[in-house]
Amino acid sequence: MTWIVWRLQRPLFITLAAGIVLAVGGALLLRAVMTADIAAAGLADCVREGLQRGVGGACGSRQVMEFQNAWGNRMWVAQVLVLGLPVLVGVFVGAPLFAREYEQGTHALAFTQSVSRTRWMVTKFLVTVLPALTAVVVIQLAVAHWVAAAGELGPQQSGPFTAISFGVAGVSPAAYALCAYTLGMFVGAVSKRTLVGMSLALGAFVVIRFVVDGFRESLGTTTRVTFDDPFERVDKSAGLTVDGGWLTADGKEVTDTSRYDFSDCATKDSTTCYHEKGLVKSFYDIIPADAVGALHLAEASIFVALSAVFVAGTVWAVRRQV
Amino acid sequence: MNSTRPDDGLVRVRGVAKHFGRKAAVSDCTFTLPEGSVTALVGPNGAGKSTLLSLVAGLVTPTRGEITVHGTPVRGRMHPDVSFLIQRRPLYDRITVREMMRAGGALNDRWSAERADEVLDLLAGVDRDAKVGALSAGARTQVSIALALGRMPKVLLLDEPLSDLDPLARDETLRIVMTDVAERGTTVLLSSHLLTDLGDVCDHLLLLDEGRVQLTGEVDGILADHRVLVGPVGTALPTEGAVVDVSHTSRQTTVLLRGGPEPEGWQAEHPDLVSLVMRYLRASRARRAPARERSRTGAPHPS
Repeated sequence: MTWIVWRLQRPLFITLAAGIVLAVGGALLLRAVMTADIAAAGLADCVREGLQRGVGGACGSRQVMEFQNAWGNRMWVAQVLVLGLPVLVGVFVGAPLFAREYEQGTHALAFTQSVSRTRWMVTKFLVTVLPALTAVVVIQLAVAHWVAAAGELGPQQSGPFTAISFGVAGVSPAAYALCAYTLGMFVGAVSKRTLVGMSLALGAFVVIRFVVDGFRESLGTTTRVTFDDPFERVDKSAGLTVDGGWLTADGKEVTDTSRYDFSDCATKDSTTCYHEKGLVKSFYDIIPADAVGALHLAEASIFVALSAVFVAGTVWAVRRQV
Repeated sequence: MNSTRPDDGLVRVRGVAKHFGRKAAVSDCTFTLPEGSVTALVGPNGAGKSTLLSLVAGLVTPTRGEITVHGTPVRGRMHPDVSFLIQRRPLYDRITVREMMRAGGALNDRWSAERADEVLDLLAGVDRDAKVGALSAGARTQVSIALALGRMPKVLLLDEPLSDLDPLARDETLRIVMTDVAERGTTVLLSSHLLTDLGDVCDHLLLLDEGRVQLTGEVDGILADHRVLVGPVGTALPTEGAVVDVSHTSRQTTVLLRGGPEPEGWQAEHPDLVSLVMRYLRASRARRAPARERSRTGAPHPS
């Protein structure tokens, strides 16, 4: 049973293998060239330390600008590609899985043999989903390996919570790919048309990603950081700011200062002025940078749960198929 | 050896109905297929032949009724003793015949590679290294039959096995099937529009119309029970027996009568299988479009 699924999907596996080889080869090559560029421009320290500390020094120089002009876009394109991989898996691997059999009538061939529909489904699912997920994860790691070589000069400087950086890291690409794949499989099995299934999978997955993106922040546990100076800002690299504002002396949160009139302050110094009005501290609720792994897991669990729903839907659709 | 006692059937269908939405594709079907019989399933297009075959195969779950093969019920999946040749002959087009046979082995609990090979070797033989998608219609049917017989079935269901085939391939395909019947006593239910081809091989008939069984039983018995009556236009229709079909030419009236004694005033003879089925099909069409048919033939609405 495994053999026949493997044999029928051989072109797909060849494509996946070629994709892996190209991506890994390309990423390693680009990493090597980029590392050489960094060394030649003498930016090795900036990779570790980033720009802030180097302002005025070597890291604030023209070399950094030149490096980022040359490599920024390339790394961005590679990360967007990783971000798009799950969609490709859903559209080109998931959606045709059952839809193409229905279109060609070959599902009836399988149904008239003694293998049960459930076993047929499970085998088809596992034999294709494992290589597809493997390809996604390997390409993800290859690109991450390359991008990491740019350190603080690359996307890392914006922290791990940006839409792109978050989506290409941790368990996220695998979870997205599983969800897109099962979604494609489900809409393909229901619509019984490859093209319809592909379009639906694409549209629905983009919507799902967008919606979950909208409430991702609320999945993480926040830590409160407070400053005695109401104007001190939290360091961007500390984490993702979810909420912020000021605290009164008795600990009340104030996020809207429009009802305060600061014009009658005795002093021009804003800090003292705020203190005078009772806004003694500033606070930030942040998801710390080192908690990004937990946020990945929390979000992934939503996508895995959705996948389970899509798998159940597919089982239902295939069982009722004549 | 072919017992036709109703309780002795290898395949028993009791009160089976299948509805797709509100439309009934098959209603209240009851019949048996005796072991070793070869039954022709005939009926007009849309009579429910394919649905009935799918029901017996277990591809479709009946809305009502029960189907048993060898005493075990068929429900929701393929019965191990049944093979089904689907009208569209679905096969994996992109692999070779050899790989297709290997797939047959992989997809079945009981599989005889020798039997499948035997079938492929029959006639001109099928090239094992050819891509399935590149085969002629005849060779494709042969591969489908090899796949069906490799399952070592006791019951073989064939949906339009002869459609798309040239006369030689038709003859050869029937020969493959009949060899299996002769050697293994396989029970066959086959649907076809090619009545002349079926006449030689079928000993039982199952006539389906609008999802209902019109006739079922041994061909000889059915033919003996029917008479074709020919008489001058205006002869009074027989009162005993059931008038199946009436047709007119300018001079004479032809009647298909079921049961009853030989009536007075008519030339009577027993029909052959082809003319019997033809007249049933025509009566069925007249029932479906009574107004148009009556105006064309001038015949009264047949019952």
